[in-house]
Amino acid sequence: MFAIEARDLVKVYSGNVVALNGVDLRVEEGASHAILGPNGAGKTTFIRIITTQIKPTSGSAKVFGYDVTSQAASVRRLIGYVPQEMSLWTDLTGYENMLIYSKIYGLEPGSRRKVIEELLELMELTDASRRLVKTYSGGMIRRLEIAIALMSRPRLLILDEPTIGLDPRARMMVWEKLLAYKKESNTTIFFATHYMDEADRYADRVTLIDKGKIVAEGAPRELKASLGSDKVIIKVQGNTNEARAYLLDNGYSVETNGNGELIVAAKNPAHVLPRVIEGLYSRGVAVLEARAVEATLDDVFIKLTGRRISEDEHGRVREVLSTRRAIRRGS
Amino acid sequence: MSMEESERSYPQGELSGGGARMRGELSSASILAMVEMEIRRLMHDPSEIVARAVQPILWIVVFGVVMARRVLLGVEDYRSFIAPGVVFQSATFISLAYGIMMVFERESGILKRLLSTPTPRSSIVIGRALAGSIRASTQYVLVILSAFLVGAHFKTNAPLLIGGYLTVIYVCMGFTALSILIASLMKTRERFMGIIGAITMPLFFASNALYPISIMPTAIKIVALVNPLTYAVDMLRGMLLGLQANYMLDLISITAFNMLVIASSIKLLDRIIE
Repeated sequence: MFAIEARDLVKVYSGNVVALNGVDLRVEEGASHAILGPNGAGKTTFIRIITTQIKPTSGSAKVFGYDVTSQAASVRRLIGYVPQEMSLWTDLTGYENMLIYSKIYGLEPGSRRKVIEELLELMELTDASRRLVKTYSGGMIRRLEIAIALMSRPRLLILDEPTIGLDPRARMMVWEKLLAYKKESNTTIFFATHYMDEADRYADRVTLIDKGKIVAEGAPRELKASLGSDKVIIKVQGNTNEARAYLLDNGYSVETNGNGELIVAAKNPAHVLPRVIEGLYSRGVAVLEARAVEATLDDVFIKLTGRRISEDEHGRVREVLSTRRAIRRGS
Repeated sequence: MSMEESERSYPQGELSGGGARMRGELSSASILAMVEMEIRRLMHDPSEIVARAVQPILWIVVFGVVMARRVLLGVEDYRSFIAPGVVFQSATFISLAYGIMMVFERESGILKRLLSTPTPRSSIVIGRALAGSIRASTQYVLVILSAFLVGAHFKTNAPLLIGGYLTVIYVCMGFTALSILIASLMKTRERFMGIIGAITMPLFFASNALYPISIMPTAIKIVALVNPLTYAVDMLRGMLLGLQANYMLDLISITAFNMLVIASSIKLLDRIIE
């Protein structure tokens, strides 16, 4: 049985906005599976259908065999969900948020306290738990939200952009905690992200989505091996023509990037790098900088769609951060 | 038993035979959880309640006192007469404004998360309606107390005073549900506030809160008679002042209103996140 099984899922919002255009997606039980794509690709819509918030226009989706439309109540019992936007009452303390949600999730009164305390401990929030959530940092808010999603011991944990707007240290901590929990519980994790490195590092399988359609799926390593390419990036002194000519003569494919650097596709960049530098020197071309770069999921995405995943990332993150600030202030 | 308990605390999978009962327990537990959330919130920050009490207190100590001297409305003790009306004016204001919380929770992720929990939609609406009405009911205490201090006379009968409080909670559940319904349809703060601003004052003036129905012109009388606030005020006034009230009609009207708005609100809740 699959944790998630979507068939030909279509969602058209009012105004004929096609958010999902025939999505087939399977998530294996026990996996950590990412759906990766630029903003507006349909990730959140897919998650909202899986979490029974909205109904698909056509097609079907099942969570552990239960249909998300006709058996929504059963689906809700199996999932834990952290939406992209903050889902806490900021004018309550961390502990109170957990307590209220534990009652909403129907936890047994006798075990509530223990469950809450264990999860606060796991997320390193015990000390902060008596403070109002208003005073929390972005990373603490995320960890508390995850703790709440784990209270009911979900078989499937669904996270929408779990680390958006967090600094690298806070991101790492969120994932450390998530993976520690996953290792212990074997919970299936399904997450949406537009950070390619996050999908690459923390997912066993990645689905790439663009404009409501799935463009590729596989283990990150496979995807990069089959569709991405490792490369060597070189910066030379003066004109690049001589260097270009040399590289082309030797059978390399060469491109130039916006910084005047030469990009050389290479299967094994660590080996190619010294040879290229040596060759260029022998032609009298001075190499100023050189580095070997491994393929990324972004390369895969560019190859498939012609666009980068994270084009307007800064605008989006700014927006999320300012919304968060407003929420914290305005509650 | 222990098997069943462990299943309940960690809803892991298959629906057991006790599913229906579990759901029932879960519904009431989550309704109470939402009330508890509201009370905790109030305790952290009671400033709204205090700020909201200023206006009704002015109604009683300024408007009530002045009008009591100037106008004959066929009412003997005007301060006492308007106190129940002003309680509801203030309480329904809070109830009707409560939906802004839902608009806010729509913009944050709270509603999305709530809608993905096993809690039924009906519990979310009933729970929040009750939570909002408990927040609103604080006005009963503040207004009655301040009216009493400026010389209003009430029946000092504990069961009646408690009955009055429960009446306020019951009535405000309907108005809070109406507010949630409007929030589900309007979705943005601006549109929500626009509608609420447009209905709150007319609701108050076109009722028997400030003057008896008998002295109203026919057109306003008709509006007042379909206004649920009229029946709420009639009931509370009867209880607090020991006046003649048609309790049965009041209760039926309030119940009909509550059922209508709560049911519509449950039905339309999903729209709020679309």
